[in-house]
Amino acid sequence: MLLRDLVIESARRTPDAIAVCGPDTTLSYAQLDTLAERFGAALAARGVEAGDRVGLWLEKSARGVAMMQACLRLGAAYVPLDPQSAAARVATIIEDCEIAVVVTTSSRTRILAERTPTVSCVCIDDRSLLALGSALGSALGSAPPARSLCRAERAEDDLAYILYTSGSTGRPKGVCISERNAMSFVGWAARALEASASDRLANHAPFHFDLSVLDLYVAFAVGASVSLVPEGMSYMPSNLVDFIRNEKITIWYSVPSALIMMMESGGLLDARELALRAVLFAGEPFPIEFLRRLRCSRPSLRLFNLYGPTETNVCTYFEVHEISEDRARPVPIGKACSGDEVWAVQPDGRRCSTGEQGELMVAGPTVMLGYWGQPPQGARPYATGDIVRLEPDGNYLYVGRTDHMVKIRGHRVELGEIEARLQQHEEVREVAVVPCGAGMRTRLVAVLVSGSGEPIPLLSIKRHCAEGLARYMIVDDVVHVDALPRTGNGKVDRIALAREIDGTASRGVDLS
Amino acid sequence: MTPEREERSVQQQQVIEILREYIAREVLDGKDIGLEASTPLLEWGVLNSFEITRLISFMTGRFGVTVPSNKAVGTHFQDLRSLSSLIIDLTQQRPR
Repeated sequence: MLLRDLVIESARRTPDAIAVCGPDTTLSYAQLDTLAERFGAALAARGVEAGDRVGLWLEKSARGVAMMQACLRLGAAYVPLDPQSAAARVATIIEDCEIAVVVTTSSRTRILAERTPTVSCVCIDDRSLLALGSALGSALGSAPPARSLCRAERAEDDLAYILYTSGSTGRPKGVCISERNAMSFVGWAARALEASASDRLANHAPFHFDLSVLDLYVAFAVGASVSLVPEGMSYMPSNLVDFIRNEKITIWYSVPSALIMMMESGGLLDARELALRAVLFAGEPFPIEFLRRLRCSRPSLRLFNLYGPTETNVCTYFEVHEISEDRARPVPIGKACSGDEVWAVQPDGRRCSTGEQGELMVAGPTVMLGYWGQPPQGARPYATGDIVRLEPDGNYLYVGRTDHMVKIRGHRVELGEIEARLQQHEEVREVAVVPCGAGMRTRLVAVLVSGSGEPIPLLSIKRHCAEGLARYMIVDDVVHVDALPRTGNGKVDRIALAREIDGTASRGVDLS
Repeated sequence: MTPEREERSVQQQQVIEILREYIAREVLDGKDIGLEASTPLLEWGVLNSFEITRLISFMTGRFGVTVPSNKAVGTHFQDLRSLSSLIIDLTQQRPR
């Protein structure tokens, strides 16, 4: 079974069941199936072939989901692009993985044309494409769509999609996920959740974020429906809780930050008449005091902590039952899942035993094909860069990182990528970026040495970041220094910087 | 300029000042970084999702407006000018 078969099979079994509710439209399985075929034919007419990459630079929509399906049916890989990213960053990705066609809106087509004049754009709001979605009709009694145009030969190890993550060298990295990688994880998740056709999943994460894979494909695997959370609603915790109630959501998956906002400002803990039966979270540690409150207020909810870098989908999980009053640390990331094997190693390569800390390694079917443009991962285990400790009960507990990667509201940020971008600012001589604070209030502070000796305005720095980085990587503050502190071997002393900055950045003190 | 437009323009300037002061105090830790009415707040990362949530709550408390979720989108939050227009429009739609 391949990703594209999930919708086709569900359309065969339950054509009139709702597949996807988006801000734009609602599609039954038969309608999604038909629209995917029609979009596939339209893409094929624009020259898209098996093995190509198709960029999707779109706001979240049901039609966007149909486009993903269209790509898979053609044997092409889709590349979801952050709709909030600047054109320059999108252009970098388009160039990096040699995207053949970008599906986007007419306004973005114009912006893109200035950056990458050679890329071919398909406007999703073009009249001819809109017409493809306007005559889907009722699925009752309709024959399945002709599939002759869109059934390219496909194997489990073929590339399904590419997700771009922050790269330490200053350029985003394309994580290549195969059909097998995705299906191993989706199949496990559907079983672990005991998902069925009566479930309604919410899709909170944007499509370029790997959490969305579970929402979409677990729903399609079992013939359930998925409701896409509109962009604006993410900012309004009480509306999110209303969304969960009104859409009769049974399975919710998001970063803890979104859940905490709903608990603090949306009334999630006291909300009545919710159909919610499972909450999954990933991307960052869930502060234990909030998780305990969620556990206590909704004892019948199944709570899952899912763990996995984009490169491995979800490779461990922990189901949260009771949380003792004296527990101060976040819950563990748990044990291996999705058919993967995980273990921790010490710097000398020795496997950790109980109680020891080491870097988490992952091997198995969910581990990516590799980064675009780099040698394949092959059968090599993936080194996560996450330090974990093996607990006596066999669960792994997240402890920290081996490098300078941080999480900003669930988004993975390589400080090196921001530093590389800032180094290109004409007035910056030296720079180090330091995270300050914790949880939702984590802020990125750029510690700068100005070339002219004059302070560089924060807005100038923000603008420079915005023109080349994802929005969540734009620094929040700047601090000017005469020189960056260095360790004995000449490296930037980040510990000293963090110690100094922690108090000064929030007070706006100039360290010069 | 008609009297109505003039009144709206004055109102808009007042709202912009209140928003500018809020963002400087609550988002930028008291720093005046030279925000202008047209400074891109989202594009340049002045506001993130967490700050937008706080800002909406401030708008409700300060101006007595409820922002519908279909209005809590990028176009209305892109700069101080569009934010102030949203607030004035919502104020005028409020039942009297």
